Amino acid sequence: MSFIKRYLIPRLIQYVIVTFLGLTAIFIFPRLLPVDPVKQQLTQYQTFGVYVSPEQQEEIIKTLKQLYGLEGTLWDQYIMFWKRFFSGNFGPSLSRFPTPVNQLLAMALPWTLGLLSVTTILSWIIAVIAGGIVGYFRKKWMEAIDILIMIIRPIPYYITALIFLILFSYIFPIFPLGGGIGVGRTLSFNLQTILNIIKHATLPALTLLVVGIAWQFQSMKLIVQSIQTEDHVIYAKTAGVDEKNIVFSHIIKNAMLPMITQLGLQFGGIFSGALITEMVFTYPGIGQILYDAIMRADYNLIMGIMCISVVAVTTSVLFLDLIYPFFDPRVRYR
Amino acid sequence: MQPLKKVFLVLAILLVLFSFTGTSAQVLPQGIPRDKTLILPFLFAPLPVPGNWNQWAGWRAQNCGLHQFVTEPLWTLNPDVVKGGIINALASEGPIYNKDFTRLVIKLRKGIYWSDGVEFTADDVVFTIQKVKETEGLDYHGAMQDVKRVYATDRYTVVVDLNKPNARFHTFFLERWGALRPMPKHIFSKVKDILTYDFNPPVSLGPYVYVSHDPAGYWVLWKKRIDWQRTVTGQLFGEPKPEYVLFIHYGPPEKQNMAMLRHELDVIQGTAEQMLTMLKMSNTTRSYRDTWPYIDPRDISTRGPAFNHLVFPYNNKDVRWALALSIDIVELAISTYNGMVAMTPGLPLVVGKNFYDWYFKPLEAWLKNLTLDIGGGEKFKPWDPDAPWRLLDWAKKNYKVDIDPKNKEEVQLTLGYGWWKYAPEVAEKLLVKNGFKKIGGKWHLPDGKPWKITILRGPDPTDMANIVILGVAEQWKKFGIDVVFNVSAAAATLALNGQFEVLNTGHGGFAGEPWGLHPDLYLCFNAMNSKYVRPVGEPTLGWACRWSDPRMDKIISSLEKTRWSDLATIKKLGLEGLKLQIEEMVAIPCFNCPIAIVFDEYYWTNWPSPKNDYARCDNFTTWPQLKYILHQIRPTGRK
Repeated sequence: MSFIKRYLIPRLIQYVIVTFLGLTAIFIFPRLLPVDPVKQQLTQYQTFGVYVSPEQQEEIIKTLKQLYGLEGTLWDQYIMFWKRFFSGNFGPSLSRFPTPVNQLLAMALPWTLGLLSVTTILSWIIAVIAGGIVGYFRKKWMEAIDILIMIIRPIPYYITALIFLILFSYIFPIFPLGGGIGVGRTLSFNLQTILNIIKHATLPALTLLVVGIAWQFQSMKLIVQSIQTEDHVIYAKTAGVDEKNIVFSHIIKNAMLPMITQLGLQFGGIFSGALITEMVFTYPGIGQILYDAIMRADYNLIMGIMCISVVAVTTSVLFLDLIYPFFDPRVRYR
Repeated sequence: MQPLKKVFLVLAILLVLFSFTGTSAQVLPQGIPRDKTLILPFLFAPLPVPGNWNQWAGWRAQNCGLHQFVTEPLWTLNPDVVKGGIINALASEGPIYNKDFTRLVIKLRKGIYWSDGVEFTADDVVFTIQKVKETEGLDYHGAMQDVKRVYATDRYTVVVDLNKPNARFHTFFLERWGALRPMPKHIFSKVKDILTYDFNPPVSLGPYVYVSHDPAGYWVLWKKRIDWQRTVTGQLFGEPKPEYVLFIHYGPPEKQNMAMLRHELDVIQGTAEQMLTMLKMSNTTRSYRDTWPYIDPRDISTRGPAFNHLVFPYNNKDVRWALALSIDIVELAISTYNGMVAMTPGLPLVVGKNFYDWYFKPLEAWLKNLTLDIGGGEKFKPWDPDAPWRLLDWAKKNYKVDIDPKNKEEVQLTLGYGWWKYAPEVAEKLLVKNGFKKIGGKWHLPDGKPWKITILRGPDPTDMANIVILGVAEQWKKFGIDVVFNVSAAAATLALNGQFEVLNTGHGGFAGEPWGLHPDLYLCFNAMNSKYVRPVGEPTLGWACRWSDPRMDKIISSLEKTRWSDLATIKKLGLEGLKLQIEEMVAIPCFNCPIAIVFDEYYWTNWPSPKNDYARCDNFTTWPQLKYILHQIRPTGRK
């Protein structure tokens, strides 16, 4: 009972407050941008060479304000925001009017989740195992891996992606230059289409894996090396505890704690997409949509994407908080 | 089995399976032959709403083939820029107005069919105008409020009665890059809500039909209609050569280059560096010209700095002239675009044969005699007709050049008409005349504060307008003015609100974008109508730069009363407006927007060139007139 009172309830309250503040920030910050969605819409026509006469502009401004629901006071819009949040209907996209935000999310999210969840989990598993082994054993050949990772890690993602493209799409044209699915294909559930999708996802996934592994590998390795020098490990070794036990029960188990936190936070972040990956590989996803939405002050679309992202991050943190006591007895006994 | 072996086994199985999913990594699937497919860049990708082709209800990135193949306008710019002029598309003749411009009669072409077999008739046009007028949120809804009544007198004649006289009402239906094009009545009349209707799959009036699109919106595939003869293209130009046309966006320039090197992209339009790289890397590529300056200079818009005329000191004509005279145009051309640009002194005075004859030639003598009062009783003639030749001299030392310096017209149509003299000493006098001071090599405002120019620009580093403005900033810094940039994604909003000092004239609210192939400058001048000027902080409906002049208002009002076909009066008024703009130095246009184009001749040939000048090159990338030139290209026979 005291665990629930002292640990669980405060965290649930914290979760509700953080989510509420996060969502309110989503409402406020886009409206502080100097970008006006109606004017951006107008200038988009002009930028692309479509002549809009001044008389037309006046009419367009009037109509778009009505259609976009930007006519009420800020408070009215805030109330509408919460209504939309709780009904799960984020309204129409302003920059892609009148397409509903939900439709855009349904189109883009599966691609983002498919790519990023697989690469996030895989890179985490590989990095944890490899980082743990290299961190503990420190063999000569392992140093080579460490050096390789040290070289890869500071390379900007864009360059890594370009190297992969040049290697596997240009010099050895094994993979397509981009896209989520082959030209002429339509999305359907058959083996050929699924394989075609995997083929298109392979290069973006590989680049994300390499970068993800390099980043987490070093974290894991350093954590393991640090734990190795801690008193309880030295004591265990002195007491003659067998190495397997030391590695798994004393080192890896402790090293896993920050890595689990990292994984949880990364999972929450998935919902914001991977903009550079999408741009370089012209891969479908939520990143490009979010970028366009911010650039064009599409309040509803920003709200739709960020609501999911905020809820995902706060829920991940809550989930981590809830499962932490199972991994870390210190939390249970605090 | 050991773990490593398992990994290899999985990889091997995947590779075998991949091989069944299509031939290697080629962009086209089996069944669509590369030698019969034209692959073009999709410049404004991605599709904002993949699968929604209803371009009457908002932005759909229509240069994905939508405005090239699905829609057809009543009138359009002639893709042949040498001949120029406006051609009749769905209309069978030009607009017919009554005496006071309150009635427009549109005669339609016969024998045109939608791709689903229904004939295109006056009913489609009447329905479109009525629907757009009554539906808020549809494009051109505002413009159609001028319509009192629209009706068909027979299957091929439409009459539009207007609420007030308008000699240019038909220009809403005239394709430049966008127009109100007819909807298929037999489809749209059955739709409950036109605004939300996705028009999927679209029915075409053009010579190609939709095949499929990328769920992410990066490519759209089109196939030639079996009945292409029953389209405007078929009637006017003949059979388009490619069986398929694929519009695709490969991503950043590096990837576009890789795609062209793999012969998976037939055309690239990008920056000068990208063009030069491709010309160097591939022996099957070429640009518009075989030698420097390679580019096609004939875009119908200009680039350079422009001012907020409500903000001091840019509201002072002498200051604007001083800023123009402190720019070395040849140095600017070299530093920004390797000299591969055509210079122009007038905001809508674009470089091209039509404008050369209509406007530049009649202006030339006036430009030579144009005189500035630079103070202390001194006068100065700023016009520099030799600038293009100096650029040519520079190029000859650095590139292979195939331009005859003695052929004045060739030089001026390739490198521009001329520009303002580089005269920092005169610029200095103009500023001193107005109380500015140069202290320690830096200019100070009349109140003694250091002069710092803040230039508003967008974030895209490959945008020509941004490239030029960076070069201009360097010129002004050299002259002793501190220059900073306000790089903002909100540049468009800030410009409309007048929250800037200086910006680039790229698409300057149409003040700098004429029809190009018709001499009417009404749309450029009308953007400067004094009735649209708003104070800083309030959005303007006209030109963001907020310049106005009663003399310009008079020209606008005269143009409104001038028949579109009265070319002599239109040109006379156009010249008056141009002189006024130049005299007042309302902006400092520097160059025509250069079309840095690369064609791959691996699968297709007979692309435009100065010797085979059937179209402006960007018709192959983004312009709707593409359909009218696809009969010109020829397959090379390579499989």
